[in-house]
Amino acid sequence: MNIDYSKEDIIVSGRLSIAQIEDLIAKPLETKVDKKFLIALSVSVTALMIGAISLGFSLLYGTGLWGNNQPVGWAFPIVNFVFWVGIGHAGTLISAILYLLRQKWRNGIARFAEAMTIFAVMTAGIFPIIHTGRPWLAGYLFPYPNQHSLWVNFTSPLIWDVFAVSTYFTVSFVFWYVGLIPDFATMRDRTKEGIRKTIYKVFSLGWRHSHRNWQHYEKAYMLLAGFATPLVLSVHTIVSFDFAVSIMPGWHTTIFPPYFVAGAIFSGFAMVVTVLIFVRKIFDLEHLITIDHLEKMNKIILATGMMVGYAYAMEFFIAWYSGNQTESFVFVNRAFGPYAWAYWIMVSCNVIFPQFFWIRKLRRSIPVMFIIVIFVNVGMWFERFVITITSLHRDFLPSSWGYYRPTLYDFGILLGSFGLFFTLVILFTKALPVVSIAEIKAVADDAQPSHHGDH
Amino acid sequence: MERNNKLFAVSALFNTPNEIISAASKTAEKGYTKFDVHTPYPVHGMDTAMKLKPSNLGFVTLGFGLSGTGLALMLAYWTMNVDYPMNIGGKPLFAFPAYVPVIFEVTVLLATLATVIGMLTFFFKFPSNSHPVHDTNFMKAVSMDKFGVIIESEDPLFNEADAVSFLESLGGNSIEKIYYPVKEAYPVFDKKFIGLQISIALVVAGLTYVTLNKAVYIQPFSWMTDQFRSDVQASSTFFSDGRSMRLPVDGTVARGFMPYEYSELTTQPEKPLTNPFAPSKAFLELGKKKYETFCSPCHGNYGDGDSRLREQFPNPPSLHSEKVRTWKDGNIYHVIVNGQNVMPAYAVQLNDEERWAITSYIRVLQRAKNSTEEDVKLVRKEIISNVAQ
Amino acid sequence: MSHSDKMWVKKDLPVRVQNLGFLLLGVGLAAGITGLFIDAHRFMMNYLIAFMLLVSIGAGSLFMVALEYIAGADWSVPVRRINEFYAASVLFIIILAIPVLMNMESVFHWAQPQAVSEDKILKWKAPYLDTTFFIVRILVAGGIWSLFYSLLSRNSKTQDLTKDQNLTRKNIILSAIFVPIFAITVSVVSIDWLMSVEPHWFSTIYGVYFFSGSVLASLAIVTYTTVWLKEHGYLHPRMTNDHLFSLGALLFAFINFWAYIAFSQYLLIWYANLPEENFWFIQRWEGGWMIMSILLIVIHFLVPYSVLLSQPAKMDPKRLKFASLWILFAHVFDLYWLVMPSYHSEHSTGFFTYILEFGFPIAAIGLLILLFYFKTKKNNLIPIGDPKLDKSLNFRL
Repeated sequence: MNIDYSKEDIIVSGRLSIAQIEDLIAKPLETKVDKKFLIALSVSVTALMIGAISLGFSLLYGTGLWGNNQPVGWAFPIVNFVFWVGIGHAGTLISAILYLLRQKWRNGIARFAEAMTIFAVMTAGIFPIIHTGRPWLAGYLFPYPNQHSLWVNFTSPLIWDVFAVSTYFTVSFVFWYVGLIPDFATMRDRTKEGIRKTIYKVFSLGWRHSHRNWQHYEKAYMLLAGFATPLVLSVHTIVSFDFAVSIMPGWHTTIFPPYFVAGAIFSGFAMVVTVLIFVRKIFDLEHLITIDHLEKMNKIILATGMMVGYAYAMEFFIAWYSGNQTESFVFVNRAFGPYAWAYWIMVSCNVIFPQFFWIRKLRRSIPVMFIIVIFVNVGMWFERFVITITSLHRDFLPSSWGYYRPTLYDFGILLGSFGLFFTLVILFTKALPVVSIAEIKAVADDAQPSHHGDH
Repeated sequence: MERNNKLFAVSALFNTPNEIISAASKTAEKGYTKFDVHTPYPVHGMDTAMKLKPSNLGFVTLGFGLSGTGLALMLAYWTMNVDYPMNIGGKPLFAFPAYVPVIFEVTVLLATLATVIGMLTFFFKFPSNSHPVHDTNFMKAVSMDKFGVIIESEDPLFNEADAVSFLESLGGNSIEKIYYPVKEAYPVFDKKFIGLQISIALVVAGLTYVTLNKAVYIQPFSWMTDQFRSDVQASSTFFSDGRSMRLPVDGTVARGFMPYEYSELTTQPEKPLTNPFAPSKAFLELGKKKYETFCSPCHGNYGDGDSRLREQFPNPPSLHSEKVRTWKDGNIYHVIVNGQNVMPAYAVQLNDEERWAITSYIRVLQRAKNSTEEDVKLVRKEIISNVAQ
Repeated sequence: MSHSDKMWVKKDLPVRVQNLGFLLLGVGLAAGITGLFIDAHRFMMNYLIAFMLLVSIGAGSLFMVALEYIAGADWSVPVRRINEFYAASVLFIIILAIPVLMNMESVFHWAQPQAVSEDKILKWKAPYLDTTFFIVRILVAGGIWSLFYSLLSRNSKTQDLTKDQNLTRKNIILSAIFVPIFAITVSVVSIDWLMSVEPHWFSTIYGVYFFSGSVLASLAIVTYTTVWLKEHGYLHPRMTNDHLFSLGALLFAFINFWAYIAFSQYLLIWYANLPEENFWFIQRWEGGWMIMSILLIVIHFLVPYSVLLSQPAKMDPKRLKFASLWILFAHVFDLYWLVMPSYHSEHSTGFFTYILEFGFPIAAIGLLILLFYFKTKKNNLIPIGDPKLDKSLNFRL
C-alpha cells in the first residue's frame, strides 16, 4: 500500500531482460496450437455460424424476420452498431491519447487494444449495411461519379457515419500496421528460412531497425496519434449525431457527443479488460500486462462511468428544466415506462457497479474486476438499447405507440457478432505478436539511457 | 543471401543504451556522415547524438491534410450546390456546418495515409528486402537486444582499417564486415516479375467480372427481383373476388371531391342551389380567368357566342339571351357541372369555387352588355371618385 | 531530492508586479464603476463577466491541481504551485458574488417576479430559478471549492517542510473525491450564472462548454506565468522547454476540445432548428452580433490553433506567451459573447461605454496578479517537498 512516489513506475515487472521479453511475446507464434486454443476457437466459430445462418435467412427472406417495425424502426441493428463502434474506441484511445499523454503503461496493452478496435469496427460495419435490407447497394454510400448524377447527401448524418467509420477503420488499420512493421522485422530475424520467414519479410518491408528510420517513424507515430485522437472523438460524436440532429425527444440533446464518446471509452475499456484478463493468463504475459496496468484501466473505467452518469443526470435535469413536455415525458417513460427494466439495468451496470472500483483492493482483484467489466459491457449494450428503443416506441403520436420485441433472428445476429469478434481476436493471438515487441522493450528496465549527467 | 566481395559497411555491437549513445555521438563527431545506428527500439536522445536534422515529415502531413480539407469542401459544394442542388430539410444549399464532419474525416484520412505512405516509400525507400544488412548476424543481434553502429563504405572518410579500429576504440564488439549481396538490383522489367503482375491482373479482373456479373445473380442474391407481390390490374388467386386490386370501402370519398347530388337530373334544379361566395374582386378575377380558359373558346370572350368556332360546329348560344339572363345562378352552375346538349360537363376541370366564380363572372358580363342608364351613372361616379383620390 | 533542493532558491517577485496588479485593479474598477453610473443594468452584466472569469480561472486551476494528483502526472509538479496560487481565487467567489446577488433583478430576467408571473415557462422553472435557492447553490459551490482548495494547498505546503509522502497520498484521495464533485458544482454554477441569463434557453452540454473554457483560461494564465517566471529565473533551473511543451500541448488540446464542444452544441441546435433552442443562436447572429460570432471562431479557435499547431511552437517561450495571453482574451470574449446578447436596451449608450466594458475584466486580471504576488511572498513557488519533484525535473519528451 505504501507507494514511493519518487520512483519511476515499473512497466515490466519481474526484471525480465529484453531478450526474455521478446521470447515471451514470440512464444505463441512459434508453438503449435493446443487444445485450449481449438476449444476456444470452436466456441466462437459456432457463435459466428449461428449469426451467419440468422443473417443468411434475413437476407433471403428479408428484414421482416427481425423485430423492427413501426414505430421502432431502428432496433437491434443500430443498437449493435453503436455498441461495437463503442468497443472499438478503447484501442485508439490507448494507442493514441495515452501515447500523447506519455503513459508508458499503455505499451503493454496497445497492440491488443488496437487489434480489438479493428475487429470491433469490422463487426460494427456489418450492421448499418444489413439494416438497409439491401446490402448489395452499399456502394452508393460513397460519392462516386455515376451516370445518374446521383450523389450522397453531405448534410445527412448517416453519410457522415460512412465517412467517419471508414476513415476510422482505415486509420486504425494503418496505425496498427505501422506499429507492426518493426515487430515483423524482429520475427523475421528470429525465424529460420521458410514460408513463415517469407511472410514476415514481405510484411516487414525490409525494416532494418535503423535509427535514421526510427527518427521519422517516431515522428510519424506522433502525427498519427495526433490525428487519431480527434478522429476517435469524431467517430462516436458522429454516431451520436445520427440521433441528436433529429428532433426526437430523448435523442435531440446537446450533450450527446461528449456523452457518447465517454460511453464508448467506458465500454471499450471494459471489453479490453475482459479479454486481457484471459490473454495475460493464457500466454503468461503477467509481467508485461501487470495488475498495475489493469488497475489503471479500471480507474479509467470508473472515471468514464461517472462521466456517463453525469450525462444521464444532466439529461434528466434539463428535460425538466427545459419545460418541454414531450422531453420530460420521454425521460419519465424511460425510467418508469414499459422499458424501465432496461433503463435500470443500464443505470445499475454503468453507474452503480463501477463504484466498487473506488476501493483499491477490488480494483486489483481479478475476479471482482471481471464481474464488474462484464456488467459494464452489458450495461453499455443496454444504454444503446434504451436510447434507441425508448425514444422510438412512444413518440409524438400516442396512436402509433408500440412495444418492441426482438425475434430469435435478432439474437442470432447479435450472438454472431460476438462470434465474429472473438474469432478474429483468437486468430490474432496466434498470428501476430499480441504485445508490441519494440514498444515494450523501450520501457523495460534500463532500456533507455540514464538522464543524470546530460543537460 | 549470397554475397560478393564488395564491402558495404563495417559494423559493431554494443550492449547498453548508454554505450550506444556515446558511440553514436563520437561517430558523428569524428565526421562520418554515412553511418547508421541500429537499435531494437527507438533510444531517447539518439537524434541529438547522431546530429540528425529534425524530421520534416510533418510538412507532408500538413500539405496533404490541407488538400484533404479543400477537396472535401469542393466535393460537397459541387455535388450539393452545382451538380444536383436539392433542398434538404429546409437548410441552405451551402449548409457548411453540415459539411464539417465529412471535411474533417477526409482531412484526417488523407493526412494519415500520406504520412505513412510518404514515410515508407519516399523517406525509407521501402520495400527494401535486398538491403545488405539483412540476414547478417549484426541484424539478428540488433533485432533482439543489442545496439549496433555501421559505417558505410561510401562515406568519404571511410577506410576499412580505420573504421574497424575506430569502432574497436569505442568499445564495440562482434565487429563484422558486411558485403553486398550478389544480386543487388531487382529490375522492374524482369520477365518473371512482369509475368507475375500480368497474371495477378488477369485473375483479379476475372474474379471481379464473375463476382459482379454472375455470382451476385445466383440464388439467394436475387436482388429482390423475385418478390411476393400483386401487379396492378392483374388477377389474383388470393382474394375471393379474383382481383389483385382492392375496392375502396363503401362511402369512401376522394380528397377534394365534392358530391353533386343533381347529376342525374335532366331538368334544372333551381331551388337549393345558391351561390355561397361573395363576389369579391379576387373572386371575380378567378372567374374571369377560368371563363377565358374554359368557356370563351365557344361562348366568346364576352359571352356573345361569337368565337372562332362559329360556323364550324353547332353555334354556341349567346349568354345574353333572355333565357340565360333570367336563369338562377344554380342553373348556370348545373350546366357547368353537367353540360348541356353538345356542351360537355366541366365537373372534372373545375372545382366548386371555380364554377361559382364563372357563374358570377357571367353575371358581370350580362350586366355589362345590358347595362341601364343607372349603371352607367354609377360607373361614372365611381371613376370620378377614383380619379379624385 | 536533496539534489533538486539545492539548486532552487526562493526569491521575491519584483515590486513592479505588485504595482501592475494595483494599477490594473484600480483602472479597471474605476472604469467599471463609472460604467455603473452610466448604465447600471449593462455594467452589472459586465461585472458578471469578470466574476465568471475569476470563477473559471479559480475552479479551472483547482481542477488542474486535482487532475495532476489523480492522473499521477510527473512533468507538471514544478508548475503545480502556480496552479495552486491561482486556485486561491475560489476563496473570494462568495464575496465577489455579493454585488450580483444584491442586483439580481437587473442581471437575471427570471429574478423579476413580474416577469415570472407573466411567463408559463418561467413559472415552471421557478422552483429551480429561485433567488434563495440560487444563493444557497453558490454558497455551497464556493464553500466546497474553498474547502478542497484549503485542504489540498495546506497538505502541499506542509509537504514542503516535512517531505511526507503520505500527504501526496492524502491529496490523491482528496482529488479523487473532488473531481466528481467539481463536475457537478461547475455545471450548476455555469447553468446558474451564465445559462440562466437567458432563462428560456437550455442546453445539456453547457456545463462541459464552460468547463472547457475555464480549463483553457486557467491553463493560459498558468502558461504565461510559467514562461515569465522561467525567463526571469524564478523557477527551477533544471526545468526545460520539454516542460513548456507539455503546457503548450495541453493548451492546444483544450483549444480543440473547446472548439469540439462549441461546434457540437451549435451543429445540433442549428440542424434541429427547434424554436425553443435556436433563438439563442439567432440572437447571436443578428446585427453586430454576427460579426462577434464569426470573430469568436477566429479568436477562440483559428488563431490559437494555427499559432500552436507545430511541435516547435508548443515549446517556444515567445509563442507560448503570445498564445496564452491571446487565449485569456479569447476566454473573456467568449464570456462576453455568452452574456451580453441578453442585454437589451432601448437607448444607445455610445462608444465610450464599449471602452468602459473592459473595466471589470481588467480589474479581475489585476486581482489575479495581486493574488499571485502575495501568495508567492509567503509560499515557495515550487513544491520542494514533493516526492515526484526530482523525477519531474528529469522529464524529457
